[in-house]
Amino acid sequence: MICRARMFKAKSLAKLAPLTRAYASLAPVATTANGIKIAALDTESPLASLSLVINAGSRFETADTAGSAHYLKAFGFRNTQTRTGFRTVREAELNGATLTAEATRENITYTIRCFKDAVPYFVDVLADIATATKFTEHEFREINKLVEFESLRARSDPVTRVIEGVHQAAFRSGLGNSLFALPSAVATGDAVRQYAQNALSGRIAIVGTGVSAQALSELVGQSQFSVLSSQPLPTPQAKFTGGTQQIYEAASPLSYYALAFAAEPQAASVLAHLLGAQKRMKWSTGASPLAKLAATEGFNVEAFSYAYSDAGLVGVLVSAPTGQIKDAVEKVAKSIQSHVAKPGNEAAERAVAAAKVDIAGELATLRGTQTMLTQAALGQKNVVTLESVDQAAEKLSEAASKTFQSKPVAASVGLSQTTPYVDTLGF
Amino acid sequence: MLEPIARAVQKNTAFRALCRPFANTWVNLSGYRRLGLRYDDLLREEMPIIQEAIARLNRDETDARVYRQKRAFQLSLSHQELPRSAWTKPEDDYKYLQPLIEDVRLEQAERDAFNSMTVVRK
Repeated sequence: MICRARMFKAKSLAKLAPLTRAYASLAPVATTANGIKIAALDTESPLASLSLVINAGSRFETADTAGSAHYLKAFGFRNTQTRTGFRTVREAELNGATLTAEATRENITYTIRCFKDAVPYFVDVLADIATATKFTEHEFREINKLVEFESLRARSDPVTRVIEGVHQAAFRSGLGNSLFALPSAVATGDAVRQYAQNALSGRIAIVGTGVSAQALSELVGQSQFSVLSSQPLPTPQAKFTGGTQQIYEAASPLSYYALAFAAEPQAASVLAHLLGAQKRMKWSTGASPLAKLAATEGFNVEAFSYAYSDAGLVGVLVSAPTGQIKDAVEKVAKSIQSHVAKPGNEAAERAVAAAKVDIAGELATLRGTQTMLTQAALGQKNVVTLESVDQAAEKLSEAASKTFQSKPVAASVGLSQTTPYVDTLGF
Repeated sequence: MLEPIARAVQKNTAFRALCRPFANTWVNLSGYRRLGLRYDDLLREEMPIIQEAIARLNRDETDARVYRQKRAFQLSLSHQELPRSAWTKPEDDYKYLQPLIEDVRLEQAERDAFNSMTVVRK
């Protein structure tokens, strides 16, 4: 018992208070002796979820390891020293559990959803994945086919392409790295192991719902997770570079254009609502100037926002018939300059209200809760809560004029003769 | 039926100690090292379990295996042996395939066990 108590920093466990479903207050984060962060939120539901979050998304890739994050995602739940991938899958099926693996620019996440009584077993499964995955060559060849297909599908989808494009234009390396591996970018399972190893020493978190942080900490302390070492590597700082553009030629009747601005991570979602391109009322465009413009001119415009631990992006994705795209993007840019960059009180109020509803809705879902817990566990600045929206709301007009008058980045899929260049849009 | 007995005999240390002095001579007499082969090259590769194990070899090992076999066929056809210096050395005659065969065997046994199990709910 004394041993176990020593596993955790005393201050973090002492502060564990029973949690109510307060969206704003963050769950307390426990840290094991070897630097594994643990965040959990107990719920009334009979279901629990467990995630192993490896802070090794594509932003950590270098020239030598390009594409590794995608492969690491695909290696989830495969053969380990103690159990085969086959056994993991069959036993999960017997428990009715679901296993998912996800890769974002920051994290690789392996998630299990199961009943509460199966949590101890699945903590062991996750510990196995973290400490004893074999990364064998024959599995690699199998995984390679899957990865190549996912990459091909991503490159064939113009929306995914422009979103990847604005990231590349905005951040170049780091956050600009592609989520999808190029064919034969990574040659062996061992290369993936090396890449994983760097992150597994000190940059992982265990996130749970339907289980108390105390219980989860104890389970993790007793599991194989304790063999991991703790020498966290620093995260390279993201740097936004405005005024650049990625151009992808495509002879399609429909063209796509993404225009993105740098934003504070916590303000990004409110600013996206200020752009207000989403239709929130059926049969009506509402009061948003961009939505009105799109409806009368006959093209589509959507706002997007991305909040990362140290940088944010907010912008619009315009899609229009190829002959119309130049006109559409220029009008959207004008509208952003004249309306969105200097928002009235009413527009700001609308944006804040819509952002709050969306965030509350997101936090009521399992996925939203997991994301929030993950960000809290890894100590990232991009945790968006109702409180952070209120804070962002106080300085909204300042943030809007600063963001939407800065130099944006762009990515386009279409004919380069018809899609406008970002430096001609007057920012 | 015979397999457990064979395993028990193999694991018996007294039996192993008794055989050891003759082991190398026995292997040399069997002749495959004179053709440059390794013991694992002689396993029956038409068996599905060995097919799977061979498929899991990495590229270098597969190439070397094919090369050794082709050379051995050629030597056998022309009724020749390699010069003594090119015989397979005892330290090169390691088990490069048998661990993989064992992996595949265990995986298949596990699969069979799962396919024919009865679930007991506690």
